[in-house]
Amino acid sequence: MSTGIGARVKRKEDKRFTTGQGRYTDDVRVDNQAYAVFVRSPHAHAKITGIDKSEAEAMDGVIAVLDGHQLTGDGIGNLICGWAVSSKDGSPMNMGAWSALATDTARYVGDAVAVVIADSRQEARDAAEAVVVDYEELPVVVTSDKALESGAPQIHDNAAGNLCFDWEIGDEAAADKGLAEAAHVTQMRIVNNRLSPNPMEPRSAVAIYDSAEEHYTLYTTSQNPHVARLVLSAFYNVAPEHKLRVIAPDVGGGFGAKIYIYPEEITCLWASMKTGRSVKWTADRSEAFMTDAHGRDHITNARMGFDQNGKITGFKVDTLANLGAYMSLFSSATPTYLYATLLSGQYDIANIYGNVKGVYTNTVPVDAYRGAGRPEASFLVERMMETAAREMGMDPAELRRRNFIGSFPHQTPVIMTYDAGDFAGNLDMAQKAADVAGFPARRAEAAQRGKLRGLGYSCYIEACGIAPSAAVGSLGAGVGLWESAEVRVNPVGTIEILTGSHSHGQGHETTFSQIVAERFGLPIENVSIVHGDTDKVQFGMGTYGSRSGAVGMSAIVKAMDKVEAKVRKIAAHVLEASEDDIVIENGAVKVAGTDKQMLWHEVGLAAYTAHNLPAGMEPGLKETAFYDPVNFTFPAGCYIAEVEVDPETGVTKVVQFTAADDFGTIINPMIVEGQVHGGAAQGIGQAMLEGVVYDQDGQLLTGSYMDYCMPRADDVPFYTIEHNKTVCPGNPLGIKGCGEAGAIGTPPAIINAITDAIGNNDLQMPATPLKVWTALQAAAKPMAAE
Amino acid sequence: MDMTGEFRISAPRDVVWQALNSPDALRACIPGCEALEKTSDNGFSATVMQKIGPVKARFNGEVQLENINAPESYTIRGEGKGGVAGFAKGGADVRLAEDGGDTVLTYTVNAQIGGKLAALGSRLIESTSKKLAAKFFENFQTYITEGGAGRMS
Amino acid sequence: MTKVSMKVNGKAVSRDVPDNTLLVDFLREQLRLTGTHVGCDTTQCGACVVHVNGKSIKSCTQLAVSLAGAEVTTIEGIANGADLHPMQVAFNDHHGLQCGFCTPGMIMTGIDMVNRYQAQGRELTEEAIRFELEGNICRCTGYHNIVKAIDAAAQQMSGMAKAAE
Ligand code: FES
Ligand code: FES
Repeated sequence: MSTGIGARVKRKEDKRFTTGQGRYTDDVRVDNQAYAVFVRSPHAHAKITGIDKSEAEAMDGVIAVLDGHQLTGDGIGNLICGWAVSSKDGSPMNMGAWSALATDTARYVGDAVAVVIADSRQEARDAAEAVVVDYEELPVVVTSDKALESGAPQIHDNAAGNLCFDWEIGDEAAADKGLAEAAHVTQMRIVNNRLSPNPMEPRSAVAIYDSAEEHYTLYTTSQNPHVARLVLSAFYNVAPEHKLRVIAPDVGGGFGAKIYIYPEEITCLWASMKTGRSVKWTADRSEAFMTDAHGRDHITNARMGFDQNGKITGFKVDTLANLGAYMSLFSSATPTYLYATLLSGQYDIANIYGNVKGVYTNTVPVDAYRGAGRPEASFLVERMMETAAREMGMDPAELRRRNFIGSFPHQTPVIMTYDAGDFAGNLDMAQKAADVAGFPARRAEAAQRGKLRGLGYSCYIEACGIAPSAAVGSLGAGVGLWESAEVRVNPVGTIEILTGSHSHGQGHETTFSQIVAERFGLPIENVSIVHGDTDKVQFGMGTYGSRSGAVGMSAIVKAMDKVEAKVRKIAAHVLEASEDDIVIENGAVKVAGTDKQMLWHEVGLAAYTAHNLPAGMEPGLKETAFYDPVNFTFPAGCYIAEVEVDPETGVTKVVQFTAADDFGTIINPMIVEGQVHGGAAQGIGQAMLEGVVYDQDGQLLTGSYMDYCMPRADDVPFYTIEHNKTVCPGNPLGIKGCGEAGAIGTPPAIINAITDAIGNNDLQMPATPLKVWTALQAAAKPMAAE
Repeated sequence: MDMTGEFRISAPRDVVWQALNSPDALRACIPGCEALEKTSDNGFSATVMQKIGPVKARFNGEVQLENINAPESYTIRGEGKGGVAGFAKGGADVRLAEDGGDTVLTYTVNAQIGGKLAALGSRLIESTSKKLAAKFFENFQTYITEGGAGRMS
Repeated sequence: MTKVSMKVNGKAVSRDVPDNTLLVDFLREQLRLTGTHVGCDTTQCGACVVHVNGKSIKSCTQLAVSLAGAEVTTIEGIANGADLHPMQVAFNDHHGLQCGFCTPGMIMTGIDMVNRYQAQGRELTEEAIRFELEGNICRCTGYHNIVKAIDAAAQQMSGMAKAAE
């Protein structure tokens, strides 16, 4: 069976996980290990007026109780946001100070105030109970609209009115003009609900300090260990970069939440130096709900105008983005450059204007969660399109077709240049697979059973393959977003790939091996993937934004190009042939048209014995490449959901779900489908089940799986998945990326289907049975509602 | 969370009033109370062990009596720190009315919880509070009938 | 401290532990069997599922001292030497895992549900599998392939059970 590009190769990494031999951070145990437990603010906003540690310090097993004044006193720097966004008046964003341990003020429930280090977890927990913190409560604000009201409590001194930035994109006058000329304007207020990412493995860290070498090692649940190392050293002054090794071993899911460097890792590293003990911390789930960066939380008012023929004439968007109490690492980019640059959707819209206000509130920081900005854009655009079609009495698919972008490259008015796509083709494919033609019959049949059946579309687009370094640099990013790879051919011909990408469920050990095995005609078992350890792997940027295929694999291809060039030279020299005649196939390096050949491992051996290399050639066979993408990639697709609503109870079932995605080249369809399944379940979760709730005092009411509703197996259907494959011209493999599509494309399809079923467009996520039932009642009695 | 209720105690109002102001009575009747000492004329310090949903915590806090209008009404206000579990605070307006030989006690409670307690226990605060109030009055009746009140006078 | 003795994966073990030690901590910290995971603190995620005397339980909600003399099987104990259990094979065959964190619990739950349904002569339908997975959360897979894997393993296991008769 083929193991090359396009083959459904079973995962190489599975065995350790199915046999219980995965090694996650909390599984790590080192000598001299102590445990950290954090003392956290129970108030959403309060002055810290005193910390009495004496009782805790005297308790059994307690090694130290440390606070924020000690931390800042040791020169540990504040947490930072790595992407500078400017307001429309040109002023820089107002970044509020965030210390890993709060010194004077706690700004959300869960803000760390002190840490107890003890011999055992139980002792640390008991001592944390005994730390007495005196607070003076301050007024609290939790929603972005309230935070902007005059007289709202001030969260940071340097952000007047809690406004972090007031950013814009596009041409306001043009959008206004387009709307003024429109024959029909659709206007909506859309709330994109706040979510908790909830990777099943809670965050964890083990910090080890070697005083003889003044060297630190950090095991941590990270999607990007090198970025963690860079930030920890360059900004937080925890350790110099060359004295800090960051290892992200097996990581149990990320979804964005494990991109950022959190207060806990900083504190554990610092505490390990301070106490001379290795320090381990593992979040429990309630701590994860309280402290992992949340996602989404937008309030948007938007207007979209159409001419007589249904062509979009203008689109104007006003969004409030809740940033939480502090700016997380990419929190400024998520609701701006990752969101509003996709407001054109799949449509040819000449006039777009977007305004986004980033607002502080007394809630946990908000940042990228699977999709990061792009789900918010897709949800908005696709809800608008569907609603507009209904208002204008048009078929929603037809309205989309009239507006699809048909030729590429296409420059949108909001920065992006779409390089390739087949939007009408995706829609055709999805309609066929979903048997849209048969829907009226299914709807009638459901009605006989007393159920309301609805169908909803979502034609999503996202920008992935993040991202061209110069482009993001010009937009304010503090880092480049290239990726690195090293291809090491061993003397026996086996290959190690050292990649800056990080796998926390994506299956890189399999897919990355596939492209190498295919390229050199080797058995896939002869390739191994090394990642997640800054001591082993050259600097790399990590995995998020569906970038490991389009960017990470491209770096591998570039390194393989270099290896191949050297292999050709060696073989041509040894076989006394012209380099141009050398072909590599089935594990052999041959001279075309002859029977002269070297086996792959013979070339490896030749490179390392160096007995007979071309004059001047260095021994060895190992190449490194850094790949900087030329453009974003643009995965796009069409999702069609069918739901059935029980009108008596509002209980809604997703009964059919079809995805037609265009991810460009697919390396392993089995793994790609798995990514879509998982994303779709998260999308169904957002649309119907999940939502973070804070009460008006800033208390988190959804702090466990009792109150935060995660999708379970019986909440989701089997998914039908089709692939359209327009090759991405921007990278050598033609890959667009597939990691986030499901989470981006799904929510609008679900809500469009439910609103179709109940005949009321006014429905916010999560569409719980109560909300659906209420909206249904309102639709049934339009007069009574007035 | 707001809660109101009414409770009939078979004892004269004066006796009830005295008990409501006695550290011994409060210590004996507050569910989970481990310690309660008078710290000033109208103030007490208290340690109370409570379980709300899956969270169990020992609260250390101060209790104040305000708006005292003997023997008719007062406001009892308290705030407790539950360490890692968070905090609980609240107040109750208590009113005593004579009804024959009995006393009818009415109360309006306002309570708030924070931190982990809120994250895990919010949905249970109402039922827990109801249970605690019922338990308190049950203890209170027993205390008075069994002569705790007698000991006081 | 109490001395707890039980059989774990066929081996007799005995440790002195504080009375409030949970089975999952006993397994992870005392025995260093780290395949059993902790994903929540309210008994809802199922990452910690193991078998006690042949039945699945959530090891985060059992005190180790309450299981004196019990036979405990963890994810590390279900393969027969180098031969993986059909449920383990099926999860690989059907791509029933991504990050792998929920996987041990899913596999232990899966085996238990197949055994129960077979013992009762009930058919383990897709609907039944989804229903039975109520106490196991996976954030990665969207459950599609987990359901397929359990279904496939059930076929395999019933085949084996029949062959053994
Ligand atoms: S850890 Fe046991 S159910 Fe979550
Ligand atoms: S595979 Fe990651 S949680 Fe299930």
